[in-house]
Amino acid sequence: MILVGLGAAILTIFAAGFGVTLSIFARTNRFNLVECACLSWLLGSGIISLLLWIGGTFCSGLVLQAVVTIACLVLAIFGWREKQKAAARSHFSTPKNLVEWVLATIVAVEAAILFFVAFKHTLGWDGLLNWEIKARYAFFNGGVIPASYYSSAGRAFSHPEYPLGIPFTELWLYLWMGEPNQFWVKIIFPLFYGACAPLLAILTARLSGKRWLGLLVASLFAFVPSVSASPGGIVVGYVDVPLGVFYLAALGYLLCWFKDNARSSLIVFAACAALLPWIKTEGVILFLVLVLLGVSLSVIKHRTTQFLVSILPGVIVLLAWRVYLKLIHVWPHSDFSPPGLGLLRHNLGRLLDIAGILLSELSEPAHWSIFWLLAAVAVVYLLASRKFEKIAVAFAVLLPIVLYSLIYLFSTWPSYTAHMTSSLPRLLLHVTPAAWLAIGLALSPPGAQTKTLEPKLG
Amino acid sequence: MENQVGPIEVNRSIDAYLRVLTRIENGSEKLPEVFQRLGRTGRLIIFTRDENAQSEFLGMMVGYVSWPREVQLIKVSTPTVEKELAGVDPASIAGLVFCSVNPPAQLVGQRHRLGSSIVLVPVPEAAP
Repeated sequence: MILVGLGAAILTIFAAGFGVTLSIFARTNRFNLVECACLSWLLGSGIISLLLWIGGTFCSGLVLQAVVTIACLVLAIFGWREKQKAAARSHFSTPKNLVEWVLATIVAVEAAILFFVAFKHTLGWDGLLNWEIKARYAFFNGGVIPASYYSSAGRAFSHPEYPLGIPFTELWLYLWMGEPNQFWVKIIFPLFYGACAPLLAILTARLSGKRWLGLLVASLFAFVPSVSASPGGIVVGYVDVPLGVFYLAALGYLLCWFKDNARSSLIVFAACAALLPWIKTEGVILFLVLVLLGVSLSVIKHRTTQFLVSILPGVIVLLAWRVYLKLIHVWPHSDFSPPGLGLLRHNLGRLLDIAGILLSELSEPAHWSIFWLLAAVAVVYLLASRKFEKIAVAFAVLLPIVLYSLIYLFSTWPSYTAHMTSSLPRLLLHVTPAAWLAIGLALSPPGAQTKTLEPKLG
Repeated sequence: MENQVGPIEVNRSIDAYLRVLTRIENGSEKLPEVFQRLGRTGRLIIFTRDENAQSEFLGMMVGYVSWPREVQLIKVSTPTVEKELAGVDPASIAGLVFCSVNPPAQLVGQRHRLGSSIVLVPVPEAAP
């Protein structure tokens, strides 16, 4: 029965996501089934967790589960009807030559291995005590996090102020399984990997025009040690890789919108970007980076209004969570002082240490192998390319790393270096899939892009 | 922690950590049972060693499994906890839990050892 419940939970997540994805792509006439499946998981987990959070303020227990399930089915039916109405056709693109078959097989084998390895590991420290704990307490309280949890000073170690995207996806599995099963719940993390690798391949291929390039970077993705192992990797149930997947998707579709002007790309960007602050607090920084890049690209396209409308869902999610925390009297605990000029001047001396730790971490072979060396070369190449979308990708990799590092200027830990050493490796994971996209685009032959800086520079 | 696939248990992660850190089997069930015997009210005060990741993690695990009882985690930087105990009001607490921390000498006769690294002192006996 547990496995039946697990299957139903995953199916409903996919159903909700599939419905929304279908309704987005319905007007495009033809849509890629693999892409649709990947986005179904991402958007489905976001929808389910948001529905549980919102629904939980009105009802609980079986009623809550039934309401969310019905909403999922309604979304799936709506998406299907939209597709039928628009007479859109799905296609499943198979590899075209031996190289593509080999690379696609490698991607599939890597995903299978990560599923296997995930079940060999326990949840890690944060996976258990920051994220799963919320799902478990909510499960024992009919699907709603008890008010006493938020007011429990003794459980501040579990960061009650952290957003509920992943914990409530775990909760959904618990509700369907009928028990908070810590073995089976780990399945959601390799599923995020399973969505990320094909999406990386598809987005790289679409932006570079070379499918084998997409498959190449997707097959190399798992070779970054931190992605597949501790600290913060897929197998220990942390939210850092899932956040990186949402960031990749949001960035990729923003670039697709810039390239092909398709409304569907902008809607997918809007949905994925909106979920960034819902997955982890640092998602706010990633969201702001995308807003900055998006505004720049939209100015070039003369479509600023269209873009500004697309960031509204993200702003709403961000504000709603802040208001909710205020209403339940949880003030975001912070390891950082509020940034200010006085403090900045006082702590400027930290800059050298921060740069040293960053470089040391980026060049740590046990965590990253030669990944950041490749990424650095790619970023330099993209910056020199004088092509808008390539420069945007370079900044999408650089800006979060710079902002994440600079924030330690305001660390309140007795040892800001210890703070940085303990958390930076996980923060870098947020940018890893996007950095693979950058590597893929750097490898793409020149001239494959649409808009260049040349006309402007005259 | 990495092991073979499974066992497929509900509390797989909690039990695995408690087994390694305290040698308690099925800790996710046994610890809450012990804490329930302390009565319905009163919080648990959990002492952990400062800058000792294993002790802090164990303290948090105790805090996790003792839900919904209120807990208070206190990190101690010295080998003894006399100073921290002096500030505790026994009227509001159900027990003291020492995670890889030695309880004070006056409580030695009243303590219950839970596995290899946790010591529980019920409060009526533990009033400092």
